[in-house]
Amino acid sequence: MNNPPPLIEELARRFTGKLLLKHELNVTQRLFDYLTKHHLIEPLPGINQTFHINTCLRCMNRKPHLFGKIPSNSTSPTIYCKNCIQMGRVSTREPLYIWKGPQPKRPVVDQPLQWHGELTPLQEKASDQMVEAIASQSQLLIYAVCGAGKTEMLYKGIAHAISQNKRVCIATPRADVVKELAPRLRRDFPAIDAAALYGGSTEKDFNAHLVIATTHQLLRYQHSFDVTIVDEVDAFPYHHDRSLPKVVKRATKPNSTLIFLTATPRLDMKLRIATKQIPTVSIPVRYHGHPLPIPTFKSIFRLQKQLEQLQIPQVITKWINEREQSQRRFLLFAPTITLAEELSKKLKIPYVHADSPDRNYLIQQFRARNIKALITTTILERGVTFPSIDVAIIQADHQVFDEAALIQIAGRAGRSAHDPTGDVTFFYELKSNAMVRARQYTINKNSEAERLK
Amino acid sequence: MYCHICFKSMQEETTWKDLLTPKLFEYICTECEDQFERNSSPTCQKCMKRSEASICHDCKLWQQILTTDPLEQNISIYTYNDFMKDAIARFKYRGDYEIQMVWRKIILETFKKYFIHDKLTIMPIPLSEERHQERGFNQAEALATSITYEPDTKTLIRIDSGKQSKKSRYERMHSANPFQTTQPPPKHILLIDDIFTTGTTIRQCAQTLKQAGAQSIKSLTLIRS
Ligand SMILES: [Zn+2]
Ligand SMILES: [Zn+2]
Ligand SMILES: [Zn+2]
Repeated sequence: MNNPPPLIEELARRFTGKLLLKHELNVTQRLFDYLTKHHLIEPLPGINQTFHINTCLRCMNRKPHLFGKIPSNSTSPTIYCKNCIQMGRVSTREPLYIWKGPQPKRPVVDQPLQWHGELTPLQEKASDQMVEAIASQSQLLIYAVCGAGKTEMLYKGIAHAISQNKRVCIATPRADVVKELAPRLRRDFPAIDAAALYGGSTEKDFNAHLVIATTHQLLRYQHSFDVTIVDEVDAFPYHHDRSLPKVVKRATKPNSTLIFLTATPRLDMKLRIATKQIPTVSIPVRYHGHPLPIPTFKSIFRLQKQLEQLQIPQVITKWINEREQSQRRFLLFAPTITLAEELSKKLKIPYVHADSPDRNYLIQQFRARNIKALITTTILERGVTFPSIDVAIIQADHQVFDEAALIQIAGRAGRSAHDPTGDVTFFYELKSNAMVRARQYTINKNSEAERLK
Repeated sequence: MYCHICFKSMQEETTWKDLLTPKLFEYICTECEDQFERNSSPTCQKCMKRSEASICHDCKLWQQILTTDPLEQNISIYTYNDFMKDAIARFKYRGDYEIQMVWRKIILETFKKYFIHDKLTIMPIPLSEERHQERGFNQAEALATSITYEPDTKTLIRIDSGKQSKKSRYERMHSANPFQTTQPPPKHILLIDDIFTTGTTIRQCAQTLKQAGAQSIKSLTLIRS
């Protein structure tokens, strides 16, 4: 067969395995007309309408209140999806386009991994199982505690896949994690094409070897990846959004491998582990081999009342003073933005929340050790790590702190091999079940680790 | 009912405040509603720009450029804060048509307060055919239907499609008028638009209409930026 002309080859790289709106194709009307006429691209309806139930074929939304109607004088109204409108409007008049032309080639990289660090025996075990899962196109759950060194655990598997000319995707719920992960992966896989995708990123995926993306970016993919690694499978939005598992499944090729990562599986995942519906490898130890810090419980009488009256209980100020005297840096978690703000004013410590404009700046300043403490809502609960810090939660009994959140927050402490212990303190008024379970989790993981020694 | 901005169910979050003061809009939750900011005085008497002087600098400048200002008065409801910016971006650029449901009631109320006795013809600022096709609707027309089922969309048309937002302030104040009339205009007109920034667009419309024989032009805009 003759090679396709260069333009077609380039378009194949851009469009293969994707579901794109017309404006996302970013081609001239003339080229667009040519591509449709020669069936190189084909439209798929954006909204499926059967028995008066609408389904958005990009985000799989089916909730009636997340569809809108645009009236028209001349034709029937247009139905559009509100759920994924931030990525451009999908409607009954705005189809999604898929590539039907020749499949693009990807340069094979024989030795993609240029990393010479060492894995712990447990990391090694997880790595080998992942390679097996890739070879046998099956699923695998890596159940690893916070700080187990999961990124390095993935290296061997990713390298194996790429050397077999397989396309790999790492999907994670947070853009912060994409930004942290991408430069590390580029450094350790220097010869491959990698694309980091999140809302607002400027990078493009032209059939790259490795795509590192927020889970939402997968809405633009169909049958694209041979290996899909879903990071923090228990975390928002994967957990709350029932349509996202469908989206992940669609983004994968028919015969492909799915790897799930979690430190805190939800009930449904725990059931699947217990009933052996999904092969699981458990890593109860941190990469540095030291146990997880066990949370200290500090009950405070009338904590809620005191905070409402803008009084900070002495036990808390004492904890803060101790850190300041011993020059320990710390994170203080608050259940609400309002409380974070009040505490920030009182304690003269900066605070961050999901929408704070200087969020990235403050996080970076904290990491660079220019700030010694930070007050935060649950946004810093996962993903982002700082070496050598202590953590405390104010109102750990608040409902926003469920078991997974508490475990993740406790998991922020003691991450560094040079400083593997860190203090974790829960300040509360009435002990919650989540708190008890979170502490039990830590104790269980530590004894599981002990048994492995 | 679900909030048209944040999509949360509103039964779940009825607060004491809702019970004390009946909800203004049934399409928006209290939390979102609180984030829109009403235009507050002191403002220019003519265009509602925030201004200590009774006639603002902009309006004086227009007077100079056009000799007589074709626009009699502009009334705006909200200021352009970040929350509004996001809402308008979703409405106009992403094309979330139904977001305008949250403003329908206040637009009608504002119309009744200022213009009900004036016997005005409601006329949304037109979009070019191209942009209308692309977006699927005209946002000004969508807002105008809060006041009347049949706003006048025939008299005025827009020819070019140059993007206002890409031009500098000077360019916008001096750019060529893209509006034309297709039939003799009604005598008294209320122009409707989403946002009043420099006033160029509204005044270009007003000028075109006046030259074609209209007697008085006022405007009602959702936002004064
Ligand atoms: Zn959708
Ligand atoms: Zn809302
Ligand atoms: Zn003025």
